[in-house]
Amino acid sequence: MDATAQTTRILFEQFSPWAINLFYAFGYAAIACFLYGSYVQVRKYRRGQPDASWGQLAARFGDMARTMLTHRTLKRRDHAAGAAHAMIFFSFIALFVGTATITLEVDILKPLFGITFWKGGFYLLFSLVLDLAGLGLIGGLLYMMYRRKWMALPKLDYTRPDRQPGDPDYDRSAYRREDWAFLWTLILIGITGYVLEASRLVWLSGDAGVWDSRFWSPVGALLAHSLMGLGLDASGAGTLRGGLWWFHGLLALSFIALIPFTKVKHIFTASASLMFRDPLAGRRLPKVPETQEAAGYQAITDLTWKNLLHLDACTKCGRCHEACPARTVGAPLSPRDVILSLREFANHALAASSLPDKAELSIHGKGPGQVFMETLWSCRTCLACVEICPVAVEHVPIIVQMRRKLVEEGQMEPILQKTLQTIHKTGNSFGESKRKRGAWTKGLPFPVKDARKEPVETLWFVGDYAAFDPRNQKVTQAFARLLHAAGEDFGLLLDGELNAGNDVRRVGEEGLYEHLASSNIATLEGCEFKRIVTTDPHSFNTIRNEYPEFADPALRGLFQIEHYSTVLLKLIQNGRLTLKKHLSHRVTFHDPCHLGRFNKGYDAPRELLALIGCTLVEMPRNRDNSFCCGAGGGRIWIPDPVGMEKPAQNRMKEAAGLPDIDVFVVACPKDLTMFEDALKTTPGCEGRFVVRELIELIAECVEAADPAPAALAAAPAMA
Amino acid sequence: MKILVAVKQVAALDEDFEIRADGLDVDEDFLLFDLNEWDDYSLEEAMKIKEASSGDVEVVVVSIGPERVDESLRKCLAKGADRALRVWDDAIEGSDSSVMARLLAAVVRKEAPDMVFAGVQSSDHAFAATGIGLAGELGWPHAAVVNALDYAPGARQASLKRELEGGVSQSVTLQCPAVLTIQLGINTPRYASLRGIKQANAKPIDVLGLGDLGVAASTVGVDASLSRVRRMYIPPKGRAQMIEGSPDQQAARLVEIIREFKGA
Ligand code: SF4
Ligand code: SF4
Repeated sequence: MDATAQTTRILFEQFSPWAINLFYAFGYAAIACFLYGSYVQVRKYRRGQPDASWGQLAARFGDMARTMLTHRTLKRRDHAAGAAHAMIFFSFIALFVGTATITLEVDILKPLFGITFWKGGFYLLFSLVLDLAGLGLIGGLLYMMYRRKWMALPKLDYTRPDRQPGDPDYDRSAYRREDWAFLWTLILIGITGYVLEASRLVWLSGDAGVWDSRFWSPVGALLAHSLMGLGLDASGAGTLRGGLWWFHGLLALSFIALIPFTKVKHIFTASASLMFRDPLAGRRLPKVPETQEAAGYQAITDLTWKNLLHLDACTKCGRCHEACPARTVGAPLSPRDVILSLREFANHALAASSLPDKAELSIHGKGPGQVFMETLWSCRTCLACVEICPVAVEHVPIIVQMRRKLVEEGQMEPILQKTLQTIHKTGNSFGESKRKRGAWTKGLPFPVKDARKEPVETLWFVGDYAAFDPRNQKVTQAFARLLHAAGEDFGLLLDGELNAGNDVRRVGEEGLYEHLASSNIATLEGCEFKRIVTTDPHSFNTIRNEYPEFADPALRGLFQIEHYSTVLLKLIQNGRLTLKKHLSHRVTFHDPCHLGRFNKGYDAPRELLALIGCTLVEMPRNRDNSFCCGAGGGRIWIPDPVGMEKPAQNRMKEAAGLPDIDVFVVACPKDLTMFEDALKTTPGCEGRFVVRELIELIAECVEAADPAPAALAAAPAMA
Repeated sequence: MKILVAVKQVAALDEDFEIRADGLDVDEDFLLFDLNEWDDYSLEEAMKIKEASSGDVEVVVVSIGPERVDESLRKCLAKGADRALRVWDDAIEGSDSSVMARLLAAVVRKEAPDMVFAGVQSSDHAFAATGIGLAGELGWPHAAVVNALDYAPGARQASLKRELEGGVSQSVTLQCPAVLTIQLGINTPRYASLRGIKQANAKPIDVLGLGDLGVAASTVGVDASLSRVRRMYIPPKGRAQMIEGSPDQQAARLVEIIREFKGA
């Protein structure tokens, strides 16, 4: 037998039996601690309501594995942090698997079956891999420490916008201590691992079997040589190893034991959260089951187990905190803090073996762990938080469920209450007569069909803002002219249309939403058409993602809806609309939340801008990182507090920071209203550029007087 | 202990409405119906008393009108009223406030409440007469335009404030049972969520006919009323005119007009 075949891991070499037994005792205690902690966590989740996400487990698992292996969500908008995490993650897995296989051999295969594989070439290769993994681990951790200590990132600042200094749960220093304890523990495990390896090499430097293959553990070997250079001899190394061995081993065991009780549990909770992610989270809000008495979340036990799991998955990375428009303008809301508050509440209330009184489970209020009403009403349901969360926490469904309860109890701004009553009474948020919904068509030089009376190819769902707001009516008319010019057979629901309900639902008035959606669905089902189009991204979202759930299952195909951007793009590309002129503007484009983030309609508007000859200069926050105009979630009906910057103004400043743009292009009626207003009220922005709807730019190109040939033909006649 | 709240479903005009062929009212197609705004406040006042009381307080809403009125009653039930009554018979059509007061008085005798609330007025007809007429029919103490109330359920007296013209208030104590007409702003009415309104479908609305109240058909309707509508119409546009031009020209024209009126 050659020497390398004998080479194996030195494990309990020269340990007295009692020491080995003691170590095993610690090991079992750690595992017991881990199991008990895990049980408590699972019991906590099981105290939540049922959730239907158990289907398609294999596909879900695959999706999770892909996300984790690529680190896709972690690298977004913070590549360095993602890369450092990947180093820690993969190294950790390698080291864990390495250790686990040793246990497998020593404690199971060898005693039971006499099988050993931890030797020879396999062992050498493995020690090389593990040695390098240790480097990855320490390197990644060092970067994370640097990032926390010296980069002063706003997203890692735990200061809460919804609490004042002095409030009982204002202080987040415990989290900070935990973060550091986590980093230090891991890095110490890594470093002592190396020193341990080096001291073992020095100690056994006389044993050729060990010493000759030392460079299969290059880091350990280099360290061993350095230690020897510093004068460490074999017996000193033996003593060092003895002490370190216990230190390293106990640290690692404590780490395992504490997983369920500390942020380390994100290893499991984040994976599970990713696995149960809902791709339509926030885009399609949960229905209230028919049999359920009360709507919305009042108590922590009203959350589903999936919600509770999401709470535990949050790693406090602060990405949602950074992206949130409400937080950016100083409103008392941070999606991260909503999640952390509820998590603290759940840990406090649901960890004991029996549940406290119902009264102590309320998550609404001003106490520790409770969420303020002002916090909930600050949300614009823009989905920036859900979109960027690397571990698939779904904030918006929780926020809306909590709002449902506030609505039931009438805890809202009186003006919002009025608007909801108006929508119930008149079917639109403007309080206008139903009969006036089609009034804008009077300004058209051609009649528009009533889709309820005759079949049409394209049914145009107009939406409140496009139909009633005078400024937007001009855009609406322009789109009608474009459809007409393209020879499109289209019609409207006229006074049969009600507010689509997208924002009513996001306010939390689920009953009113059900009423609006089912009336619109009944009207649509009575019409004959091939597809629906709309210029309103809010209507677009709810008709596309939410109406099918309220419709007769056989008729779900009815809700094939397109936003005007894809409609116009096709009409231009297939030649049904001709651009008679090009615009040479330098423009920037604002992605509407409900078109972009909600429904991934990022490209069509940009292609249209390119087709009409505009040069697009992107704002720093674009596409999936687009910054909400502030109108979402019903906030268009609630005036923003005076003296506080409005999200739309913040956006105007961002655009004003771009070099020489002429036009700020929008593709949503509410955006037009919000930004035209913000442009006038943001100091230093007025006059820098104008706000225009994309439709208006296209109409300008399509409806331009015929170019040169026509002009020439006209010339002789004039002479 | 019982509080009776009399409410009304009022009509609001829709855009471009038309007057009915008989010229007595607006064509119902152009009317939007909703609970009278004042009644939101009187119901809220009753609910506040109910909620503040440790004893058993029943809040009963009553309205006179055809079936469509159920929708408004359901809104009251959604806000927490315990029971709703609707009085109707086709013979009631066209009755004025005096008849309404008589009918409500019959309801009060039947229900025997400890307190009756009504709105100061209804936003469509604005007579401000029904509540006080009811007190007259019953011979009960009454106070109109109440904008603050201190009343414990079952107490023999209530103290309240009344809003008078010119920013003057009056403090009043009166014997109970009594009829109070409640003014806007006395409280903040709660919101009835649509789910709440739907769930209120399960609560009963009792429909009472003339027989149930022991009222003869001859004592209701247009003929039994003390007043009747002769015509409803849109008055001709006023004679206001805009004076155009520069301030000087406007001033000159104004002087001219004043002279014309003075007949100089
Ligand atoms: S949806 Fe938008 S406004 Fe609401 S918490 Fe998330 S990021 Fe903030
Ligand atoms: S919720 Fe998600 S994005 Fe927000 S801090 Fe937690 S992990 Fe980060």
